[in-house]
Amino acid sequence: MSYSLNEIEAMAKKAARGAGYAWGPAEEAGKAVRWLESHALSGAAALVGHLNIGDIDGPPTSLQGDWSSATGVLCPLTSGAALNDCAEQLADGHIQRLLDVDHPLLILPFAAWAALHIKAPIKVEWDGVRATTDGYRLRHDALNGDPNHRRAAVVICKMDNATDDLRAPALRGAISKDVWQALRVFAHRTYAPASEASRLLGAGAGVSDND
Amino acid sequence: MDRRADTSPSIPLRPPAHMMRLARLGSFHQSRLSFMRILTRRMKREAWTFTRPVFDIDANGVGHAVYAAHTPDRTYSLVAFAHDLPADKRSDRVIAEAWDSTFALFDGVPTEADIERLRANVPYQEAGRVTESELSLSRANRSVRLWEYMVSCLAEGRQPEPAEVTKVGYLMRTTAVYGSGKFGAADREAIAARPECNAPFQIEMLSVYLTRTYVRDLMQHMANARGGAKAVTLNPKIARAMGIGNSTGLGMAPFLVNHPELFNNWIAAREAAIARVRSLPSARASEAQLFRDLLARAILSASQWQSDHPVQVEKLAALRPDLDHLAAHVAQTDLRGNMPWNRLFDWAEANLGVDAQECLASLMLEPYGGLVDDLTTQMADTNTEGFRIDGTMTIGAVQQILTQVYDWALDIDWSAKDNCARAWYVSEEKLEPRLGERFDEPIANYEQPLAPGRDAAALSVALTTWDASKPVAEFLLAQPEHRHTVRRAQIAARAPYAEIRDNTIGADLMPIDMLRCKLSFFGASHFDPRSDRWVRICMFGNAPYPEELATSDDHWPYPVLP
Repeated sequence: MSYSLNEIEAMAKKAARGAGYAWGPAEEAGKAVRWLESHALSGAAALVGHLNIGDIDGPPTSLQGDWSSATGVLCPLTSGAALNDCAEQLADGHIQRLLDVDHPLLILPFAAWAALHIKAPIKVEWDGVRATTDGYRLRHDALNGDPNHRRAAVVICKMDNATDDLRAPALRGAISKDVWQALRVFAHRTYAPASEASRLLGAGAGVSDND
Repeated sequence: MDRRADTSPSIPLRPPAHMMRLARLGSFHQSRLSFMRILTRRMKREAWTFTRPVFDIDANGVGHAVYAAHTPDRTYSLVAFAHDLPADKRSDRVIAEAWDSTFALFDGVPTEADIERLRANVPYQEAGRVTESELSLSRANRSVRLWEYMVSCLAEGRQPEPAEVTKVGYLMRTTAVYGSGKFGAADREAIAARPECNAPFQIEMLSVYLTRTYVRDLMQHMANARGGAKAVTLNPKIARAMGIGNSTGLGMAPFLVNHPELFNNWIAAREAAIARVRSLPSARASEAQLFRDLLARAILSASQWQSDHPVQVEKLAALRPDLDHLAAHVAQTDLRGNMPWNRLFDWAEANLGVDAQECLASLMLEPYGGLVDDLTTQMADTNTEGFRIDGTMTIGAVQQILTQVYDWALDIDWSAKDNCARAWYVSEEKLEPRLGERFDEPIANYEQPLAPGRDAAALSVALTTWDASKPVAEFLLAQPEHRHTVRRAQIAARAPYAEIRDNTIGADLMPIDMLRCKLSFFGASHFDPRSDRWVRICMFGNAPYPEELATSDDHWPYPVLP
């Protein structure tokens, strides 16, 4: 089904929060899925896949050297956020390696925002996927089939200078019923159960609106 | 130098610590920078034309109509569905599932197939779905009392009493106008580059503007159907006084917190306008006279403002004598030389309450469209990098921002029950924001991040054990639960009016203060709180109808003296 990008962002944010992320990372997850879906990449499915792995992943243990998690599986959302937080490092020609990354596709939007910040394209590579973005536009090619790998042993992020054939994003996203439903299930955990007190007090109803 | 070109005022902007308190934000008034005013000025300037290609509504008031607005470049069409709503369905705002009329604003000219698609979705509102061809989705209910009164008057061949009309102020009130991609509609990004969509909420305002004309026409249609040859046409002067009502609940309050840069841009534009006018060395006689005339009209408007809510009753009891006091002062004050507006505003700050001060601030802008209207181009949020956290900022620098922007919050004891008595949450029932009692209801686990002050205080405590020279990215890696607060702090450091500098979860919070602030930027007037959490307002009251735009008065929100 066709969704507006705002719908996608709002749903993905709630899903990430519902799965246990703090609000800040959840906000970024929403924007990341929006960015991917606007480039016709299956960001929503990647997020669902990632949220389903449970608590086995973690953030980088340190911002020095190659990034890896103490749990052995690197979280793409927290490491993506760190990549963007430290975008200046990439501007210096630094090559950042991320090891054992869950759903590596989710790294790509964060690399894009880093590119926007340093005003230079960034290339992200994993398992035969090569994607270059200037922040707004994207080229991804030589995909070994599906970019939606569940795990990548190494993700490499570095500055690039080729901006040929970068494609602008679209204004809609297409997400399958099953994936949307899976996001809804996570999002639902952020809603307080309905109660009469909530209906009357919470929204200030109970006063007739007739006049 | 032409004083009108002087946009670097000598009077500084009012400081955020003064402006961003809820008591002041909750006393804002519409101004010429408000979104309805931006729209009506553009429609007049660009000579938009308006047509009604379809009005297929039967004698029972059931059918559909299309109202088209033609800009120099394109057409926007309000597709309106009129329903015969049984009285028992028109019961309550929160649980409503049916309405008197439902609407979509279509981008272009809808085909018959579009209309049929919309007919299958728009009447169900949230339960239906629209597409990227639609820009907004909305609904409205009648004011039963005024509707019946006006239909019967006109059907019987007489004009309604103007006093009866102003008592309510509208024939229908909208209960939601959804834009920006809601329920499948086009995202704002799809249209933001169009000049007429640059300022915030222009599509929503256009939808309401066209709705007002539809409502007038529908009421007349029903009167004609009932009265036949006896029926008369509504006097245009009486029609002018009618706006569109709106009932606004808690959904708007989180919006201000969730869009800090956008909110900053609204306040900053208005403050810049006020500073420009206060900095004028002198005023022309015509400008001073226009101000005096509009002050008299503002006093009339305040006298027509009705509310039964104790808080609003008290505010009006202060505003009305304050405006009289202001008029008396103005009558004996020379407004021509010696920075007249600054003198007047200084006097107001020393002698009038907050409500009247903000009314005056808006009023002073009226004679100076040429000086301030350009600021409306800065009211949108175009900063696509706004949410990025600068991880290289040192922890010490973040602490410094907290001290500067959140000083008011660092002094609050957030463990005291009264200071965190409330929690914002989203209910599973309607997926809408609500406000609950943290210690009486099981809602704390569902709390939305709408207490920036409390969160800033928590961040400040968490940072104390960290080396101030380290980059904040290291801290955030260890404690990601503070990411949203670091983001806000960095935004507030560059956008001084981004943050409400008051407790948004305290026992004494009045959410209607947040609602009024936002609605004043829409251009709403006559705020009538129905509880501490929702407010009824009037939109486009006294505004020119499409056929009156060309000859209309730019100062239309101020009612014309009898």
